[in-house]
Amino acid sequence: MVLVPHVLALGLYALAAALALTPFAGLRPAPRVLALGVPLLGIGAHVIGVARLTSFLGVAPTLSMLALFLMALQAASDGLFRASAVAVFTGPLATGLLGLALLIGLAPEGPPAAARGAWSILHITVSVLGLAMLALAFIAAALYLLQFRELKAKRFGAVFRLFPPLERLDQLNHLSLVLGFPTVTLGVLLGFGVRYAGGASVDAAQVVWGMLTWVVLGWAVGVRVVRHWAGRRAAFASIASFTAVLLVYVALKLAAPGTQRFL
Amino acid sequence: MSITVLGVNHRTAPLEVRERFAHERRDVPASLERVLAAGARGGVLLSTCNRTEFYLAEADVAVPEAVWAILSERLGGGRSASEYGYTRRDRDAVRHLYRVSAGLDAMILGESQIQGQVRDAWETSKAQAGPKAQAGPVLHRLFQSALLVGARVRSETGLATGAASAPSAAVAVAARIFTRLAGRSALILGAGDMAELAATCLASEGVRVTLVANRTYERARAIAEQMGARALTLDEAWEHFADADIVLSSTAAPHAVVTWDHVASAIARRGGRPLCILDLGMPRDVEPAVAQLENVFLYDIDDLQAVAAQAAVERRRDIPAAERIVSEEVERFWAWYGGLVVVPVLKEFRERLDQVRATELERALRRLAHLSPEDRGEIEHFSQTLLNKFLHQPTLALKEAAQAGRGYGLLEALKRLFGLERRDDP
Repeated sequence: MVLVPHVLALGLYALAAALALTPFAGLRPAPRVLALGVPLLGIGAHVIGVARLTSFLGVAPTLSMLALFLMALQAASDGLFRASAVAVFTGPLATGLLGLALLIGLAPEGPPAAARGAWSILHITVSVLGLAMLALAFIAAALYLLQFRELKAKRFGAVFRLFPPLERLDQLNHLSLVLGFPTVTLGVLLGFGVRYAGGASVDAAQVVWGMLTWVVLGWAVGVRVVRHWAGRRAAFASIASFTAVLLVYVALKLAAPGTQRFL
Repeated sequence: MSITVLGVNHRTAPLEVRERFAHERRDVPASLERVLAAGARGGVLLSTCNRTEFYLAEADVAVPEAVWAILSERLGGGRSASEYGYTRRDRDAVRHLYRVSAGLDAMILGESQIQGQVRDAWETSKAQAGPKAQAGPVLHRLFQSALLVGARVRSETGLATGAASAPSAAVAVAARIFTRLAGRSALILGAGDMAELAATCLASEGVRVTLVANRTYERARAIAEQMGARALTLDEAWEHFADADIVLSSTAAPHAVVTWDHVASAIARRGGRPLCILDLGMPRDVEPAVAQLENVFLYDIDDLQAVAAQAAVERRRDIPAAERIVSEEVERFWAWYGGLVVVPVLKEFRERLDQVRATELERALRRLAHLSPEDRGEIEHFSQTLLNKFLHQPTLALKEAAQAGRGYGLLEALKRLFGLERRDDP
């Protein structure tokens, strides 16, 4: 019964993405209760699906969890920041990630989750949550740059009308980055713990490149918090750091392909 | 019973005429008293800068004349106000008020201020016009439903979305830069009407106008006092660009007074905070190059009008949906209204025919004196049954028509055909 809630969540995420995109197609925006309710229903179904996974190892379960956290962060952004435009990115992204997870197959590829220990589950969950937060920071930065460009160019179209104010996007980027970085750090530390407890093997390349991306992320947080960067510069820093994470991941996956392990 | 609206608005009269018709709040009771004295059973006067309208219950022939006389006196010069005016009756009058309340008849399509003005007009008429001017349940229901129609149109359609005027566009643009406008500080340059209007719009969103700068200090002080701000000369203003969130400029200068140098030196001290400059001057007050500075968002009057025009286009798309709501609500009101008037007329109709039946029965029974009491009773029962049979179908049809909102026309026909004069109005 892992598949049914996942497929249901996929359908609801796709609907949520469509609802988020309709105003950009010149159609009337969906009522707020629908715009918030559909993703929340999808999250509910998805939580049930993830809770029934017997293994968190492998690309598919990780992608599924990443999609879940992205949608949860989307709902939080909408509820707390009135940043419904975030869904323009998170909706299709989460739908795509979950669809990919289902295509790869959510069947267990490793030992059952319980057998791997609570620390392992915690390591994976915290790391993926941190990654989702950094993705949200990236999305908020991208929205900021788009709105900035439209405002500077005096174009008063859909982006001007439907995207949140610049300051709010900057605040969302700041918060996601500042919360995301310690979360990722905690996830990495838990990973080391799991490794030294003998629960997982990590290549030297993964350690080196992982540390490098951690430093890049730390730099993006540092310039915001210590040097008080804001606005466009901070958005570029956020985008650059998340791009570094993605590039390193792709490089590591190319070096060691396969779907048995996320990293 | 009838509902009538008489008045003038921005479509029928130019501003210089409309401003003569406009009533201060204190003038309303006197004008309503005159209309009521002319024979109206109730009245509401809606007077805004764009319209002066009398909504009347039971306005017979003398009442419109009284209304036009009141307005003609205000117009002066022996001119007749009716030249600029219009009259709508019954269903058209209801539709007219609903369209007004919904913002469909407004100069700026969908503007929401009118709804408050409709509410005030009703409250004023109710409170100030005295017991004689009690507008009664019909006008009460009419105005309450008009407010609901306005709210429905605004919530169910996009008629009130976006900024449809340049000053409100200024607010919309600033709201795309700052998370919250409340608590932001604004610096006003110049003393133009447009800047004052836009400043008022911003202030209504909670923006604090902290500084007013003008070439003439005295003029700056006059406006600053109105807005609770501090007055400055223009030369003193530049350093304050470092603190203000919004700069609103509308000087009468023939050239740009805000240069790149003025703003650039202030931007360095802002720590990356955005600065929104709204240049409402004509010719422009701010050098266009200022827009190239990082975190400076400069908009001139053309930009704001472009925002307003776009909002207006989008609002126009929602006119059919808004008109549908108005039509639905007109029918609903008319169904209620038809039901309201049908009961007393039906009662009178039955009484009248029963009276005829009783008279004719008495006459017939006088001629048939030889009949036994049982037979006389039988004949009386027959007459009663016959009358009931005759009345059954018209009564049913009238009630059904009233429920469907078509009762009023049938009722008028019934009254004319049977000469029913007495009316038990609600």
